[in-house]
Amino acid sequence: MNVLILSIFWGIVMMFSGIALKKKGIATGLAIAGVLILLLGNLGDMSTVVITTSTFNDMLAFRGYNVLFISIVLVATLMYFLVSGREIENVGTGGFDYYALIFFVLTGIVIASSFNNLLMLFLGIEIISIPLYILTGSDKKNLKSNEASLKYFLMGSFSTGIMLLGIAFIYGDSGSLAIVPAPSPFGFSFTSLPTLSAVGALLLMFSLAFKVSAAPFHFWTPDVYDGAPTVFTSFMATIVKAGTFIAFFRMFAGGFASVQGSWGLAMQVIIFLTLLIGNLTAVFQQSAKRMMSYSSIAQAGFMLLAIYAHNDMAKEGFLVYTAAYVLATIGVFALLSRVADPGFQGFNGLAKKEPLLAATTTICLLSLAGIPLTGGFLGKYYMLVATAKAGGPFWLVIFAVICAAISIYYYFRLIIAMYFKEGNPEMAPVSRGLKFWLVVLCVLILALGIFPYEVLLNNLLSL
Amino acid sequence: MNVTQILFWLLSALTVFSALVVITRKNPVYSVLWLIITFISISGHYILLNAQFLAVVNVIVYAGAIMVLFLFVIMLMNLNADAEPQKNKWLQFAGVIAGGCLALVIIAALKNVDAKARIAETGSDIGLIENLGKVLFTQYVLPFEISSVLFLSAMVGAVVIGKKN
Repeated sequence: MNVLILSIFWGIVMMFSGIALKKKGIATGLAIAGVLILLLGNLGDMSTVVITTSTFNDMLAFRGYNVLFISIVLVATLMYFLVSGREIENVGTGGFDYYALIFFVLTGIVIASSFNNLLMLFLGIEIISIPLYILTGSDKKNLKSNEASLKYFLMGSFSTGIMLLGIAFIYGDSGSLAIVPAPSPFGFSFTSLPTLSAVGALLLMFSLAFKVSAAPFHFWTPDVYDGAPTVFTSFMATIVKAGTFIAFFRMFAGGFASVQGSWGLAMQVIIFLTLLIGNLTAVFQQSAKRMMSYSSIAQAGFMLLAIYAHNDMAKEGFLVYTAAYVLATIGVFALLSRVADPGFQGFNGLAKKEPLLAATTTICLLSLAGIPLTGGFLGKYYMLVATAKAGGPFWLVIFAVICAAISIYYYFRLIIAMYFKEGNPEMAPVSRGLKFWLVVLCVLILALGIFPYEVLLNNLLSL
Repeated sequence: MNVTQILFWLLSALTVFSALVVITRKNPVYSVLWLIITFISISGHYILLNAQFLAVVNVIVYAGAIMVLFLFVIMLMNLNADAEPQKNKWLQFAGVIAGGCLALVIIAALKNVDAKARIAETGSDIGLIENLGKVLFTQYVLPFEISSVLFLSAMVGAVVIGKKN
C-alpha cells in the first residue's frame, strides 16, 4: 500500500514542481529522489511499516511475491532515470510533466502487480496505458511520433474494449469480480471453466497479449517503438512491459491457474507464434531500433512460458527473467538513444571511439541472447526447466531452445558492427556519470547470472 | 404477455434494428443519429432492469455528450466519398473471417447458458442513486478513488499535448 500512495503523491509533486522550478536537471534529481522514497516505502511493505493494513474489501494484496516484483521494477526505474534522465528532459519542453506521467505509470504497475479484483486489473492496465499514449507522441514536431501515438491509442483502446467484454462475460457468469473463479452453482469442473467464463478468459487473454505485444497481437509494436522518442521506447520496452506482464501472470498463473484446461492450448499457440515471429522477423531488420522492438516480442515469448508453467520454479524464474531482460534492454537503449543513425551501419567502429560504452552494450546484448554467466542465461534456463517440469509439451521446449539460438544471430550483428567494422559513428557526447551507471548496470546483470538463488528467493518468497 | 414483456421485445427489436442501420449507412452522420436511438433504447432496457440511475446517466453521457462529440468530429473531418481510402480486398476478407469467428464463439457460448438459473432477484430500489452511492463509498471505495488517478493522468496528458512549445 505504501508504494501505491507514495507513487500517486510523487506524481502530483512532479506535476506541480514544473511551475516553480525552471532550471534544467532539477526534474531528474527530483524524480530520482522520488524513486528512492518509493523504494523506502517498498521496504516498509516488505516488513510491517505500512501506512494502512486495509485491503479495501480484498481489492489489493501486498504479499512477498508482488512486493518483491515491485522492488525489481523500482530498481529498474531508478537505473532508467540515472541512465536516461538527461534525454527525457531533452524531448520537447515538458520534463516535469513526463516524469509525472512516468510516476502515474508506476502507480498503474503497482496496481497491476497486486490486484485481487478484475476491476483493479482494468484500472491498473488503463493507468499504465493512457500516459504511454502521450509519451509516445511527446515529440510533437515529428510526424512519425504523432502517427505512432495515434496508432497506439486507437489499437490500445480497442484492446481495452475487448478486455472489458471479457470481464463482463466472467462477471455475468460467476457474479463476482474476484480473480480466483469461485465454485458456483452453475457447475464448475476442476480443470476448466464453464463456457461463458471461458470465453471471457480468452478475451482477457487476447487483450493482455496485446498489451505485452505477443504474436499475433504484436503488429503495433514495431511501429510504435520505432516512432516514439528513443528514451520512451526504452521505458515502454522495459518497465512497462514488465508491469503488464505481471498483470498477465497474476491473472492466469494465479487466478486461472486451476482451470488451465480452458486456456492452456490457446497459450501454447500464442507462445509458439510469438517465438517464431519475433525471432524470425528480427533477423531481417536493418535498423537496430526496430531489431530491439522485435527482440522485445521474442523475449515476451519466453516470459509467456512462465505463465504457461506457473509452478514454483516458473514464479522464481519470472522474477529473474524480468530483472535480467529489463536491465539489459535499458543498457542497450542507453546507447541507441545517443547514436545519430539507428541503422546497424551507424554503429560501425563504435568500439574504437567509445570502448567502454561498446563493452557495456556487448554485455547487455550477451545477456539478452542468453549467454552463460549473465542473468539472461539463467532466466532462459529457468523458463525452459519450469515448462518441462510442469509437463508442458516437449516440442515447445525444443522450439524455444532453437529460437534462443536464432536470437544470437541478430544480437551479434550489433556486436560485430561495433567491433569488427570500420567507421566513424556520429553520436551525442557521453558524460562520465552515464558511463559509471552503465558499468553498475552491467555488474548487476552479471551478478544476476552468478547469484545463488535458492537461498535468497526461498527466504523472500516465504514472507 | 404482460406489459414488461411487450416492452422488452419492442425495445430489443428497436435496439437490434437501429444497431444494424448504424453499420449499414454510408453517410456517417446518419450512423451517429441511429446510434443515439440505439443508446436510448438500451437505456430503456436499463429501466426495465430497475437500474434507473444508470439509464439516466446513459442518456446524458452517451446519447448526449459523446454523440455530440462524434458529430463534431465527423463534421470537422468533412468526410465524403472521394476522401475515403481504398480498402484492400484481402484485408476486408480477413476482417470478415476474424469477426465471424468471434461472433461464432460468442454465440456458441451463449447457446450453452442456462439463463433461468442466473436470474438474480433484486429489490425495486436497487438502481437508485442512494444504493449506488453506498456501494461506491464502502465496498468499491478503492477503485473509485484510484480512477481519479486515471483521469488526472489523462488531464496531464492533454496539457502536455496541447501546450505550446
